[in-house]
This record gives sequence, structure tokens and C-alpha cells, in this order.
Amino acid sequence: MKTRSKVLIGLGGYLALAIAMLLIFGNSGKNEEFKPQNEFKLEEWVPIHLGSLDLSINKAVLYLVIASALTIFAMTWISRRMAQKPNRVQTAVELAYDLTKNNITGGNMDTATATRWFPFLGALFFFIWFSNMIGFIPLPINTEHTVNVFGLEIPAFAIYAATANISIPLVLTLVVWISYHVEGIRAKGFFAYFASWLPPGLEEMSPFGKAAIFLIEVISHFVRLISLSVRLFANILAGHLLLLFMGGGLAVLLGIAALGTLTFPLAFAFFIFEVGLVATLQAFIFSTLTAIYIGGATSASH
Amino acid sequence: MDLSPVAAAVTDEGVKSAGKAIALGVGAGLGSIGAGIGVGFIFGKEIESVARQPEMKSELESIRWLGFALTEAVAFYTFIFGLIAFFLS
Repeated sequence: MKTRSKVLIGLGGYLALAIAMLLIFGNSGKNEEFKPQNEFKLEEWVPIHLGSLDLSINKAVLYLVIASALTIFAMTWISRRMAQKPNRVQTAVELAYDLTKNNITGGNMDTATATRWFPFLGALFFFIWFSNMIGFIPLPINTEHTVNVFGLEIPAFAIYAATANISIPLVLTLVVWISYHVEGIRAKGFFAYFASWLPPGLEEMSPFGKAAIFLIEVISHFVRLISLSVRLFANILAGHLLLLFMGGGLAVLLGIAALGTLTFPLAFAFFIFEVGLVATLQAFIFSTLTAIYIGGATSASH
Repeated sequence: MDLSPVAAAVTDEGVKSAGKAIALGVGAGLGSIGAGIGVGFIFGKEIESVARQPEMKSELESIRWLGFALTEAVAFYTFIFGLIAFFLS
């Protein structure tokens, strides 16, 4: 009973605080100036235009470079100073290495293919993981809003992730998509590979029915392009949007300051959820599905 | 019933923004229902399986996360298409 009344008093006090804030600050009307989509706009820092091709350096490029550099240097650095008695970082990295080697790669394809494709899948996992994780560290990248510190204009701190932009997951997906087809053709031969798309057990079917099923399989292979890229992109983008709206965006947009008292603690909960689960899980899913696709393209039975 | 104030309030711009708002609401809302049922089903079945065969727990764990992420992504597909309709059209 005592704990219960404590919880009730706490919740009641919190609600009373929100209501008091609502009464003090009131509703200042809908804010037309704040545009949430501008938080994801790519400002051109170094404009590079080749004809109609836009190769400008923007914050997505910065995050891409940081993620690639972290992937390369962190892994090389840790592998150079491997010790007999591992410290905490080495243990964690060995755990992740073991996950990519035995679980993701080894569990989904035969040994010969796994040996050949493990470096690619491991790099894919660590690159997406670093890319997702640095997306939750605030960096001074928001050049649209600058903060004046002793006469020096520095960009405001903001979070962004390379994977929250559709281009990067799409490129990764295209690399995966082309490579699993190439690997399948290499393993089985050109016509045998496409024939293996048909599920087993159709030997007595008419050619017309086989063609219809083949068409469905073709569509499903193209849908993989969308599902694999949009899954990663949408998860990270939705996470960042949730953090943006809960961490004050909703209160600013609607002009109700009291709403911030209610949504701000939720932002912490979502931050922990995103960093603790979604960032790692999406890297895991992307590389696992890649392994499944490569394994499916090379395995003897469908 | 006199509907002329309603008819006067209906503008092309108003219809367009109402359509966008409905797209976002229906997209995010209905998508979440399906994915919510799916995620609940996966975790429920996993609990059931572990209760039946506790020795399979470690093997089921990775399959569970795979299923969870695949199902959960469905909610985000609808959410993203709703956002595209809301902000980019």
C-alpha cells in the first residue's frame, strides 16, 4: 500500500506539473516556422556538380566517412593489440566477430561459400552497426541553425545517421542484390540458376503454370531490393523522427510548451530502445538476410 | 440542412492537406495494428516454445529477433509512405 501511494503521488505530482505548465504558458498557437523535414535536409557544404550529377559534400557524406573510418580503424586497432587475457573491448568485439562468423555467415550457407563471403558480411555488419550507432551521438552538423559562442558561429548539435538516408541502404542493397545473383550463377551456371528459382515439386506442372510461378519469383526477387533497403532506412529514420518529436519537436510544432513535460521522458525511453536494440538489430538483420540470400542462391536444393 | 458554409470551406488546398493528413494517420495507424499483432504473435509463440523445450532457448533467440525485425519493419514501411505523402507530395 505504501509503495502504491508513493507511485500515485509521484504520477499525480508529475501530471499536476504538466497541467501547471499548461496554465502558465498556455497555447501559443501552431508554429508555422518550424519544419521538421528540414532536420533531415542535406545542406550542401562543398557544392560539387558534374552536369546533372550532384556530388556535393553534405552531412550524410560526413557520417559515411566517419562510419567507414571507425569500421576500418577500430577493427584493425583491436586486431593489432589482441592479448592473451582480453580486456572488455576485446571481449565485446570477439563476441561480435563470433556472431558474424558462426551465427550470421556459418548458419546460413555451406562452409566453402561461408569462407568466401565472411569478410563481406562481417564488414557489412560492422559498417551498418557503426553507422547506426554514431547516428545517436550529437555532433555539430546543423549548419542551418548556428550557435554564437564568443563571436564564433558554430553549427548546432544535431543527430543524423547515414543510414537514415535512403541512398546509402539502397546502395548497400544493390551491392548485395547483384552479388548474390552473380554468386548463384557462378555456383550453378546461368540457366540452372534461373531454373532453381522454381520451388521443387513442380515437375508435373504445365509450362504455363511454371511460367506463372517463375514470374512471381522474379517479382519477389525485385521486392527484396525494396524490402531490404527500406527496412534499414525506415527503422533508423523512424527512430530519429521519434526522438525529434518526443524531444521537443511536437511541443514546438503545436506551440504547447506543457506537452514537452510529458513527451521529454519518453524521448529518453526511445533513445535507450533505439541504441540498445534497434541499431544492433538492424545491422544483424541486414547481414543475416544477405547471408540467407547468398546461401539460397548457392545451395543445391532451392 | 444548409451545407453552404461547408461547401464554401472546401477548397482544393484544404482537400489536399486533409488527404495528406489522412494518408499519414491511416498509414501509420493501420500499419501499426498489423505489425503489433505480428510481433505479439512471434513473442507469444517463442515463449510457448521455450516453455515446451527450454533446451532450445538459445537457438530460438536468434530466430525470434529475425522474425521480430522482419515483422516490425512492416509498420515502418507504412509509416514512411505516410510521411512521404505528408511532407514530400
